[in-house]
Amino acid sequence: MATRFDAAQVAHIHQQLHSHLPSESALRVKALETLLVDRGLVNPQTIDAWIEAYTEVIGPKRGAQIVARAWTDPDYHQRLLQDAPAAIDELGFLGKATAHLKVVENTAAVHNLVVCTLCSCYPFSILGVAPAWYKAAAYRSRAVRDPRGVLAEFGVDIDSKVEVRVWDSTAELRYLVLPQRPPGTEGMNAEELAKLVTRNSMIGTDRDLGKE
Amino acid sequence: MDGIHDLGGKQGYGPIEVDEDETPFHHDWEAREWGIAQSARTPGITIDWWRHCRELIMPQDYLERPYFDSWAQTDFSTYIEAGWMTLQDLEKNGAESAGANMDDDPLPALSLEQVLQEDREHAFRFDADIDAEPAFAPGQAVITASHGHAGHTRLPQYARGRHGTIHACHGAHVFPDLSAQGKEVHQHCYSVVFSAAELWAEAAGSPDKVYLDLWESYLVAG
Repeated sequence: MATRFDAAQVAHIHQQLHSHLPSESALRVKALETLLVDRGLVNPQTIDAWIEAYTEVIGPKRGAQIVARAWTDPDYHQRLLQDAPAAIDELGFLGKATAHLKVVENTAAVHNLVVCTLCSCYPFSILGVAPAWYKAAAYRSRAVRDPRGVLAEFGVDIDSKVEVRVWDSTAELRYLVLPQRPPGTEGMNAEELAKLVTRNSMIGTDRDLGKE
Repeated sequence: MDGIHDLGGKQGYGPIEVDEDETPFHHDWEAREWGIAQSARTPGITIDWWRHCRELIMPQDYLERPYFDSWAQTDFSTYIEAGWMTLQDLEKNGAESAGANMDDDPLPALSLEQVLQEDREHAFRFDADIDAEPAFAPGQAVITASHGHAGHTRLPQYARGRHGTIHACHGAHVFPDLSAQGKEVHQHCYSVVFSAAELWAEAAGSPDKVYLDLWESYLVAG
């Protein structure tokens, strides 16, 4: 009862699943859970716990804390750029999909944008569940080809002199964008600064923080 | 494989739904599927095999069914392929339990603290030391392979046969094309930077860059 890596069989299974699955998403997932629970392959309370973990504990607030720390602590900033997994581990945030994390830093001359054109790779343990648009065909297809057009749709206009760097997550590396600290925030502490950091700014679909 | 999943550079998918609220799940069933995917994995499965099973979803289903629905379908396919359940079980819609519990004891319920600990343990590494020296060094010009193959691979179509430059060496990482067949082989992996103009005719004169992480066998010296 182990994985056999039989791609031809899986292609056949998908053909069957095309017509044999229940008609609605909710019913399909319900059927899946029922079959797993009946066979003792999953405990429904464990599913509950995973949902709670990614609703209440793990999410973009972690990423925002990392960014705010980097803004306020030059040594941490340096460690984050040099060895991001170790730096996020200091905050207890190392976990699912972040063992090969890289941090890419925005500057006045550079804007970074992250995508996964082949699937939906995302640094779960620091940003939580990816937004639906990140996983949708519209974003995955265009981010590498028309990043400025994509950014404009998010309300971000990039000066023609700024270089846009698109990071396509084709391997097990994951990318976190370190946005620029907004001007006029010199008096704010890390906790206050973290509130200015948007989820999208850490993916790269937001740039100038602290502006209404 | 040259599948529907390989979306980079494709056109016609319309505007992005940018106004989505930031809650992690928008329906209960999405949350259930998230939890299932974290909790129930077939023995011996690799991330690349799971990705390949998702790529093998029929194109119309891949594009039309919601994202977490495609996860459910991927999970179904891995469970059926591994013999955990059958298509016939599914046709009964889970109404009737065809098989006895595979474990003598029911699985214990994990608490929030326990799954958070598991999440920390899921910081899986994919790199290893290998004897072979990296074939390329930062700054070196490379050309990507012109062709893919029918199996799982991580060189997207839009970056095939293109001239790039090695930006960084990541060390040796598990090679996905073989990992999707259950074989763990490490190969040097690189961050490769391409000018937007090299990839897209309409980007002539653009200062923009696209970075991909690519394995050594996808590359030759440029």
